[in-house]
Amino acid sequence: MSKNTLALCRQAPYGNALAREGLEAILAAAAMDQAPAVLFLGDGVFQLAGQKPEAIAEKNLRRNIQALPMFDVETLHVCKSSLLQRGIMPEALQVPGADIELVEDCGSFIRKFDHVLSF
Amino acid sequence: MTLHIVSKSPYSSSALTDCASSCAEGDAIVLIEDAVYGAVETYPEITERAPVYCLQSDAEARGIVIGKNVEGIDETRWVTLCTEHNPIVSWFK
Amino acid sequence: MNTEKNLHIAGREIPIDKEGFLRELSDWTPEVASALAQSEGIELTDAHWEVLQLLQAFYREFELSPAMRPLVKYITLHLGPDKGRSIYLMQLFPPSPAKVASKIAGLPKPTNCL
Repeated sequence: MSKNTLALCRQAPYGNALAREGLEAILAAAAMDQAPAVLFLGDGVFQLAGQKPEAIAEKNLRRNIQALPMFDVETLHVCKSSLLQRGIMPEALQVPGADIELVEDCGSFIRKFDHVLSF
Repeated sequence: MTLHIVSKSPYSSSALTDCASSCAEGDAIVLIEDAVYGAVETYPEITERAPVYCLQSDAEARGIVIGKNVEGIDETRWVTLCTEHNPIVSWFK
Repeated sequence: MNTEKNLHIAGREIPIDKEGFLRELSDWTPEVASALAQSEGIELTDAHWEVLQLLQAFYREFELSPAMRPLVKYITLHLGPDKGRSIYLMQLFPPSPAKVASKIAGLPKPTNCL
């Protein structure tokens, strides 16, 4: 059942706690062998872009995201139009060990899941 | 088919527009709390792909007159919609 | 008021929390590791050090302490499938390898570790 869960990540990395909370939920579930699928949408796509949060004394969220393949989350789904809207080239997103899969029709993608956790 | 629940004003959050663009044919959208500011006649049509509902009590509380593209519902109907759809997605920020 | 504990190593006072994790990650030295291991009843051998170094590499790469599954995967990746097994890690760092090894390696407690 929980195999079929989607984590929907919609927040930029440092403006509020949701991006980190979402990632921690994903890691916790994955550590229990219940890894959800992950979709980055809206400002959530900024989580995958380059970051240097030492400047504001925060931990680097993208580094943590790079751990996802170690937790057996090997595909990261990304809303294509959210990227284009924000002027981010899909090629610019690279997470070693993970496949970035662009989603054109988020509606059809989301309805394949039994549970959706919003962050 | 997905039930999308939106709770933020479309003027302060991207929740409603994000939701509308992530909506598939046959989904449904429920506007609650401050999202009801998107239920008025003058607000542009949210989507053609899915019916849009609005929690009557939240609209009334805010003095909102629900436009003709949106259907006002009570809590019981909202619960029914929840049982008829899967998954349920919260657009709460 | 002050309930903090300290490790005493070569004349230095090193603060640890109530579970024995270092308060300041920068306090870590191999001597500190040996002392932390001793408090877990573990005598460090080359096999232990190899895992500890990988844990620290994991932390540098991802800025988090691994839970058991990712630790096993990471070790498989770097040391091969013979060592990338939970039973192997269990023998080295009983009873809870991810937690115990993180502690000895001077990392924060794994956040997703029960």
